[in-house]
Amino acid sequence: MNDPYQILGVSKTADQDEIKKSYRKLAKKYHPDLNPGNKEAEKKFKAVSHAFDQIGTAEARAKFDRGEEFEQQYQSRSGGPSFYDTQHDGGRYSYSFGDEMGGADFFENLFGGARHRDINFPGEDIHYKMDVEFKEAALGTEKVISLTDGKSLRVKIPAGIESGKKLRFKGKGRPGIGQGAAGDAYVEINVKPLQGFSRKGKDILSELPISFLDAITGGEIEVPTIDGNIMMTIPAGVSTGTRLRIKGRGAGPADNRGHQIVELKIVMPKNIDPALKEAALNLKDQFNYNPRMQ
Amino acid sequence: MERKQIEDASKICGVPCEIITRFVEEEWILPVDQTTPFFDSEDIARIKLIWELHNDFGVNDEAMPIILHLLDQLNRMHLELERFRIH
Repeated sequence: MNDPYQILGVSKTADQDEIKKSYRKLAKKYHPDLNPGNKEAEKKFKAVSHAFDQIGTAEARAKFDRGEEFEQQYQSRSGGPSFYDTQHDGGRYSYSFGDEMGGADFFENLFGGARHRDINFPGEDIHYKMDVEFKEAALGTEKVISLTDGKSLRVKIPAGIESGKKLRFKGKGRPGIGQGAAGDAYVEINVKPLQGFSRKGKDILSELPISFLDAITGGEIEVPTIDGNIMMTIPAGVSTGTRLRIKGRGAGPADNRGHQIVELKIVMPKNIDPALKEAALNLKDQFNYNPRMQ
Repeated sequence: MERKQIEDASKICGVPCEIITRFVEEEWILPVDQTTPFFDSEDIARIKLIWELHNDFGVNDEAMPIILHLLDQLNRMHLELERFRIH
């Protein structure tokens, strides 16, 4: 049954108010958050929502009546998980009222009085994941996250933290029942990549393209670091793969930072100018060498 | 768990950014990461729910927190019942 008029139980000549009224009535009846776990109701709600997307506004309805394809502008009513879906395995919001109500005590009383007074079990641990910018991970930062009990948790991210590392917050998990201790909260850190940089322990690695002329003569070259660009002295006669160290520009606390290791990469000009080739031939006569024999 | 910034959340839900900001100010939505803020699937489903309650069911600002609170309690109740069943 794909006819939205039929699904909403209205005639083709019904006005927008009637359609809206009928939709509201059906949506209230079948809303997944008012019928938790009832798959049949959820299916009906989706059908009703989709039908209302199709003919709920005069504009959409005119399109539908002309037989035009329905274009989904956004995820809309019928798409994505319902709120109940996100909560029924344990969601932050379901625990957000815990403390106001007396938390676990409320449920103990509810479920039981004397018979259940001996029930004790620990609260579950909760696992969070947190994205941290490359620079924040290197130099440390503070973030605020929402916990399942609705409270905020200030997460101090130590300088030099690496991806996959878990921070533990004792007692910040789900509350225990009875004498059971609360679980712990774990925050797993995911360090977001930063173009041109990578991390190895406390050191930050980067690649620096230089011209072959700079490689021969050496000189001062601007190098990006996580603290901004700085000037670095390149010695004469470096090769691709030569690694230079910039002290104290790596990851870690301000008084004990790692280093930035810059790996040089000699890059030729995109086009070889005939004059350059000529010059190189002259140089070759005078200074040729065999790098395979060194 | 995928996180969305407010503009992306707005696109997914079809709810304007300023309305989402108001939901956050009213504390009906507690974004998973309050610093930026970022919204996860729970937040997004809740934004849609609040929008439906407001737009389709005519729930006003006074009644909204009560309804959300009752829903949260109901969902918590389901969870606790489930835990008792398991233990």
